[in-house]
Amino acid sequence: MQMSKQLQQAAHNGGSPLREIFRDRVFNGIHQGTTWQFHRYGINCKLSGSVYAVSEIEGAVPLIHGPAGCAFHQRLTPRKMYAPIYNLPCTNLDENDVIYGGEDKLRDKINEVYRKFHPQLIAVLPTCVSGLVGDDVPGVITELDLPCDVLHVPSEGFAHRSRESLDVLMRDFAESWKDPSRSPAYDLRGCGHEEVMFSIVDQLMEEQEIAENLVNIESFGRFTYGFRSELAEIKHIFGEMGVSVNLTLPTCTVDEIKRAPAAELNIVTRNLRWAERMKERFGNDYLRKWFFYFGLDGVEKFYHDCASKLDLNGVADGAIRIEKTQSLQELERYQKVFARDDFAVSTQGFFFTPYLARIYALDLKLPIKYLCVDMQLLKALNISEETIEVMEKNMQEAFDEWDLGFEVVTNPTLGEMSEIAKKVDHVLSDRITPPIYEKGGGVGVMDISATRYLLFRTGFSGIVEFGKYLTRELNTGKTHQNSREPIISRFDYDTIYYPMLDDDRCSASREMWSGMWGMKSVGCDDNGRR
Amino acid sequence: MDGGKFFGAFRASSGITDAVVLNHVPVGCNWGAGIFKTTSNQFDMRHACTVMHEREIVFGGEDALREALIRADELYDTPLLLVIAGDAPSIIGDDVEAVVDSVTLDSEVMWMEAAGFKGSAMDGYEEALLCIAGLMKESETIQDSVNLIGFSPDDFKVDADVKEIRRLLSDAGVEVNTVISKCSLEEFRRAPAAELNVVLGQGTKLCEQMKKEFGLPYLKMDYPYGLDGTSHFVGAISDELGIGHEPEFDIEPFKRIYLYLHELYGTPVSVIGDFHAEAMANFLDGELGFNVEVLSGNEDDYFEFEEDVRNSNTTILFGSSFEQGIAETLDIPLIRFCYPVFDNVSVYDCAPYAGYRGAVCLTEAIINTVMSYGGMNK
Repeated sequence: MQMSKQLQQAAHNGGSPLREIFRDRVFNGIHQGTTWQFHRYGINCKLSGSVYAVSEIEGAVPLIHGPAGCAFHQRLTPRKMYAPIYNLPCTNLDENDVIYGGEDKLRDKINEVYRKFHPQLIAVLPTCVSGLVGDDVPGVITELDLPCDVLHVPSEGFAHRSRESLDVLMRDFAESWKDPSRSPAYDLRGCGHEEVMFSIVDQLMEEQEIAENLVNIESFGRFTYGFRSELAEIKHIFGEMGVSVNLTLPTCTVDEIKRAPAAELNIVTRNLRWAERMKERFGNDYLRKWFFYFGLDGVEKFYHDCASKLDLNGVADGAIRIEKTQSLQELERYQKVFARDDFAVSTQGFFFTPYLARIYALDLKLPIKYLCVDMQLLKALNISEETIEVMEKNMQEAFDEWDLGFEVVTNPTLGEMSEIAKKVDHVLSDRITPPIYEKGGGVGVMDISATRYLLFRTGFSGIVEFGKYLTRELNTGKTHQNSREPIISRFDYDTIYYPMLDDDRCSASREMWSGMWGMKSVGCDDNGRR
Repeated sequence: MDGGKFFGAFRASSGITDAVVLNHVPVGCNWGAGIFKTTSNQFDMRHACTVMHEREIVFGGEDALREALIRADELYDTPLLLVIAGDAPSIIGDDVEAVVDSVTLDSEVMWMEAAGFKGSAMDGYEEALLCIAGLMKESETIQDSVNLIGFSPDDFKVDADVKEIRRLLSDAGVEVNTVISKCSLEEFRRAPAAELNVVLGQGTKLCEQMKKEFGLPYLKMDYPYGLDGTSHFVGAISDELGIGHEPEFDIEPFKRIYLYLHELYGTPVSVIGDFHAEAMANFLDGELGFNVEVLSGNEDDYFEFEEDVRNSNTTILFGSSFEQGIAETLDIPLIRFCYPVFDNVSVYDCAPYAGYRGAVCLTEAIINTVMSYGGMNK
């Protein structure tokens, strides 16, 4: 099949998309996993999000306008732990600059950075200190006469979102599970990435003649597991529809960014603000990639919606249908294997959970008896009890309406999981929970935490690849791994905030963070609770 | 590149292993300081943050600090809360002292101002130790004992290095009383019981203070890398205490790999780091016979260092994880030995880089890195 060949070529080192996922999980995840855990105790600076986004732009150099300490640690941005930003120049503001202002230093440093690196773009990222001092960064930039572009990105670290914003967004997502037309059409306040996106639209892009059937795709860079082969598939399907991909934003060159307004449509994967600004400035339409675009029907809808935006209704239908049909035909082989057994699936409660469950039940046709949903993770993200209740209720209603036929077990204990395991042939877990179930040689659980990334792709092949993988694992009997005792199953974990260890200091630090961050929300009581 | 005063203060403070550090800063500073500390100790979570947000920037952060102190006192079972005020509260003028004085807590509270723009990491380290020096108490002197001063809990190989130094000193009849900053509060309090302070790179101001207050003499020493470096270290301490011990080392492990050492003789290398760097360069040059072409400190201009290395014949680089960039550019291996190391872990406390055993481990690491680098295939 042509698609398979393309995916093979796109995957790293000539491997399959599945191998790409595993490689990304190992070589990126070993760094990234720790940052997720550290989010229990704090969050990173807005500045680090900006440093990351600028680092994705080929030909750009980020310049920190602040004390040396900011540049010292922001070189290790949590979004790209595997590849620190080694060249991170800084104005090195000192006490004198705090008193008299740092604008002269900034002017000199921009010139120095140009002389040293000859970049196409210098992105000036102010910090808390330069923000508090009140340096006029746009003013300094305007006065410069350099043969490169200079961008100002508001990145002051004290201007971040509140805890409440994610809580509200999660609740609004839950309200729209059954009726996607109610999806929340607003943004969370940026964490650095969005500020860069908005600034490049506002300050760098140039008016272009809009070319028909040309799209830009907002990437979240190599942070996403399997990014390369997913992008290859998107390009392939668009190609079959007669649509070309102009560029991925911001993972492209400076010149490409300038030409971005040539695209007819922007595919938005994170925040909308930059796309709205592009529409306002250059007239480019946009489509937000929502959770309901997951699964075979969701992917089909996504490409239909793109076609509709591009006035390709009817024209592209055939191409989309062929892709989907091929996938359905291949899946049938795997579904026959799955039909032989009963399954329980352990998953986490999040904004995508109902649609992920649909993929298991409807696309893969796994005979699921129990869907075990861990809602505890949400607490670690400071989601309120009220919102979690709404999510649980709406999730159950969605499952009932879709007639998925399984029993939902919320936050099962180890004992309950053990009982469930006895009633099914296989337990799958799409989070890294098998180690706790293996404690004491307990419940045999198959870890699909890495391979589940295949299910979130904007293409049909990921689900097929997953089906193939699961079939192979079932045929080799790898779902029953309860005779071993891995080292990580020998620790005591916090029952709510897994994989946090059951440790007084960790618990106190988590609660401390949760409380202090909660206080930054509007409408909280004195304890930081809504 | 230097981390600035806040980082130095954080590293010194978090070395009091049963204390809790309360960072009075916006979220990013708290994250940055913490992330390097946790690479090789992922559950040692003893720091918190007042989460300075726009509201605090406009109206002041004193209420947030007060609230954080009360919460921390309730949540943590700790004898000491160490408040570090960073850049933002320094500029907006939060009265940290007044806030600390306004609350009555179970834990003892100490505070320090450590705005990053007001000094270097070493300044922050020195001042943080001075700040908590008031907690020390007059103690009965333990004969032939020393305090080791200059460590941080997130130094690469810190546990193994301290263990090896303790072993070597113990063989010399010297007891290690307190390791600063890698000790409990009680150990810190009892530091004046030592007969001698040994300062390794940083902590001199604390030594001056202890000399003034407790009459404790001090000795400034290089970090004990290599055979000669270690012998000098142990010998000098032993002499100072009047013991007169002559340490011995086993050269046998080096004999087993002598042909590799021959081939590496004269290798051009570059070294960058904090106070560890010079001692490392001495070992590489003086004992392995390398040619140290560029030696740079963290407070020197980093881009100049990079330029100098590019213009040199350097074939092995010694530094922190942040030197991986230039190492990749030049296609040469990097040996990580200096803070921050965030892409290698060091959890085995019997594989030091310091001391005699450290000289063997370090040499082994260098040879293994070079041999497995595949430099001829790139």
